[in-house]
Amino acid sequence: MKRSIICLLLVLCLCLSLAACAKTEVPTTETPAKSQNTETTAPTQEEQASTEETPAAEETPALSGKVTVYMPSPAGLADKLAEAFTAKTGVEVEQFQGTTGEILARLEAEQANPVADVVILASWSDGLSMKADGQLESYTPANADKVNEGWIDSDNTLFGYSASAVGVIYNTTVVPELNADWSELADAKYKDMIAIPDPEKSGACKDFLAGLVTGTADGEAIMQSWADNGLTVPGANKAALEAVTTGEKGILIAGVDYNAYSSMAKGEPLNIYYPASGTVVNPRPAMILKTAPNMDNAKAFIDFLFSDEAQQLVADAYLLPGRSDVQCENRTNLADIPQIPTDWDKMMEVASDTAAKLNSLCK
Amino acid sequence: MRTINLSKKLPCLSLLALLTGLILCPLITVFAKAVIIDGRLDLYQAWQTIASSENVQTVCNSLLLGVCVVLCSTVIAVPTAYLLARTQLKKHSWLDIIFMIPFMTPPYIASMGWILFMQKKGLFQQLFPATGSWSEGFFCFGGLVLVMSLHVFPFLMTMLKNAMLNIPASLEESGAVFGAGLGLRLRKIFAPLLTGNYAIGALLVFVKTLSEYGTPYTLGRRIGFYVFTTDIHRYSTTAPIDFGRSASLSSILVCICMAMWLMQNYITNKTSYRLVSGKGSRPAQTKLSAVGQTGAWLWVILVVLIAIGVPYFSIISTSLIKLRGYGLAAGNFTLDHYKELLTTPKALSSIWKSLFLAVSSATICSVIGTAVVAAVRRSRGFFKKALEGVSLLPEMLPSIVLVIGIMLFWNAIYKVIPLYNTIGIMVLAYVVLYLPYTVQYVTSAFTQINNNLLQAGRVFGGTPAYVFRRVTLPMISRGIFAGWMMIFIIAFRELVTASLIAPPNTLVVSTYINREFEQGSVSLGMAMAVLCVLITTTALLVFNRVIGKQKGA
Repeated sequence: MKRSIICLLLVLCLCLSLAACAKTEVPTTETPAKSQNTETTAPTQEEQASTEETPAAEETPALSGKVTVYMPSPAGLADKLAEAFTAKTGVEVEQFQGTTGEILARLEAEQANPVADVVILASWSDGLSMKADGQLESYTPANADKVNEGWIDSDNTLFGYSASAVGVIYNTTVVPELNADWSELADAKYKDMIAIPDPEKSGACKDFLAGLVTGTADGEAIMQSWADNGLTVPGANKAALEAVTTGEKGILIAGVDYNAYSSMAKGEPLNIYYPASGTVVNPRPAMILKTAPNMDNAKAFIDFLFSDEAQQLVADAYLLPGRSDVQCENRTNLADIPQIPTDWDKMMEVASDTAAKLNSLCK
Repeated sequence: MRTINLSKKLPCLSLLALLTGLILCPLITVFAKAVIIDGRLDLYQAWQTIASSENVQTVCNSLLLGVCVVLCSTVIAVPTAYLLARTQLKKHSWLDIIFMIPFMTPPYIASMGWILFMQKKGLFQQLFPATGSWSEGFFCFGGLVLVMSLHVFPFLMTMLKNAMLNIPASLEESGAVFGAGLGLRLRKIFAPLLTGNYAIGALLVFVKTLSEYGTPYTLGRRIGFYVFTTDIHRYSTTAPIDFGRSASLSSILVCICMAMWLMQNYITNKTSYRLVSGKGSRPAQTKLSAVGQTGAWLWVILVVLIAIGVPYFSIISTSLIKLRGYGLAAGNFTLDHYKELLTTPKALSSIWKSLFLAVSSATICSVIGTAVVAAVRRSRGFFKKALEGVSLLPEMLPSIVLVIGIMLFWNAIYKVIPLYNTIGIMVLAYVVLYLPYTVQYVTSAFTQINNNLLQAGRVFGGTPAYVFRRVTLPMISRGIFAGWMMIFIIAFRELVTASLIAPPNTLVVSTYINREFEQGSVSLGMAMAVLCVLITTTALLVFNRVIGKQKGA
């Protein structure tokens, strides 16, 4: 009699494993088919293009299939870029959006069977460390001659298609007017009013601190003096900005500028400036992975990022465009931002330690 | 003889094999990252990570937090469960759902609600400017414990309430006949009968607190209280990524939780009473006087106000505010965020995806979990412990470690089983993560069943299948449904898993909210959170109604 209970249990197990399979296999059978499609059709179409040599094909080689892009937000921009790219080339964009940390974790977990073609990160130093690991493919994109100096690295692996800079963002209902330099923010006037994004969560803030420490004479002393003046770390970029928007804190040090510009455009009582002794402009690198399953599409996507259309989208999202001939009207242009002299190799060495140090100072 | 022996062990073995594939393989993959360095076995580095002196402080903090949260949620859950199970409040079954709302709220959103309410220039200070900076006193260890307890107490409450419903009136009445007063009855009859179930619930709360990430990160770091889980997350999501370190660190957590589990097992075994026997029993009910009733309602209202009122006041007002910088002010309110939400296809599709994930994972979990518990109860010795231990493992370590394990494992075998990067992997991950809930809830229901009932069924000629269907299943159904509901709720709002494992172009509710928080508009995110709770509540009400009708029939 016990045996039939056992049988029942077994049947249950079987049912559920079948059920689990059924639910999951529907999409799985589809995806390999799709990826096979891309693998087989992409080269053949290209061959066609090259053999026929139609004039149109030279401009935009016929592509199809998909390209998988891992990019950090701003979400609106990522969606618009994907849409415009698909409209232009017919290539489907599969995007995974997440923070730099989530993207890096995902890449690490997918090492056995890589999925991503193009990776975009929010900070140049994270891109450089990917390059140091030998994960990146070298390529010279179209319009490379028009790109800001230094925004494509010497080995042509990192493509700074856009950039953000950090500045001082302040709530005008708390502090009506502000123009203090970095060191002056340690003044007793601003006691317990200052906040900074978590440099271990915000690549822009991390690179800024590294620049401050390596590029100025008294960087570490300034960090210490902020901590003594009641500096708090409310969270990643947006959470820190949130503390200032709601008026809990008055001043955000090293706040990412495009967030502030878009909030200001909505009418929030915020303002931003770049302190006179200079800040770090952080190009956001797009990179092609060596392991990209859809290499041609990946290269086309990078070309697209430097096209007029994409660069305009970048400017509309309050980011600094990667091409020097594209200007923005809604924010301070690159030429007008005072910069700390940056030596990325040196900054890379100290970046993680500096970030950890700031967090421990503010504990 | 041998064949019987084999067939006895077969279900156990097959279940064990299933769980090994689902849970152990991913775990082994991620722990391998910790001990295999450059292709060689190297335990030294893992040991160094574990033995680092920095861990002592954070581990102590985690333990302290766990204990305090268990105590605090007991204070909230026990009276509430009693009122809902034994007094006139019982007939208001909608209260059950109301008390689930704190649990439906994603932890990071609830703690954000509290922060927005209590912070300097926060909503409380805007409402009551006269109180000065009084509300900022919230930012202390006590505040953290309160917020976390309010989040997890429904776990304990549901479990206790279900157990109380099964205590027959006769036991207490006989106590009363022999002259025991209310206090003595509660102490000597009521409390001992519940100890086993309480231990299970308390373990869930403790373990949940230890592996929780959202609240300690948002609120804990503000007050300088650092816990272990934050460190584990840091190693897997900040460059340089080091899964190995996360895994080594989480092994400490697993050890602590395993020890707690063994202790809970000991307590539950020692104090479990077979309350549900065949004898006709009626549920006990305490008739409260008018004063008592007022008191009961006051308590319920107080709990609802603190657990739901405060965070939801912040969440709803944030979702309605036009410009965050001006706070609560006339003319600064708008419904635009909701309008935008309902007209964005992305938002709507994310709701559907979440619903699909929640329903499918809750159902699959209920089936596997019930099978596991049933198998565990009929087997002995090593298999019993192994099966139960493995099924509870996912609860004992921070979800991020298991999720990374799942990603590593399923990506590696993509060529064999192409499941990775599909919505299927999300269902699978959720099933793995939430299996312990079903196991715990069904175990709790099982502890009270008297074996005589099953034997009686067999004596009267019922086949085992028939007995299971007509005797066992109806008796544990309450536990299964409670587990189903819990998983439905938690899967609907899961963030850590979704943000890592979601295939490209797939947004679920939690990642949608998180993306709005990170890069878009906080108000829009909050509007989505409100909408989600509405959906979850409605779904549960409907579900409850359907189940209730079936039971009545």
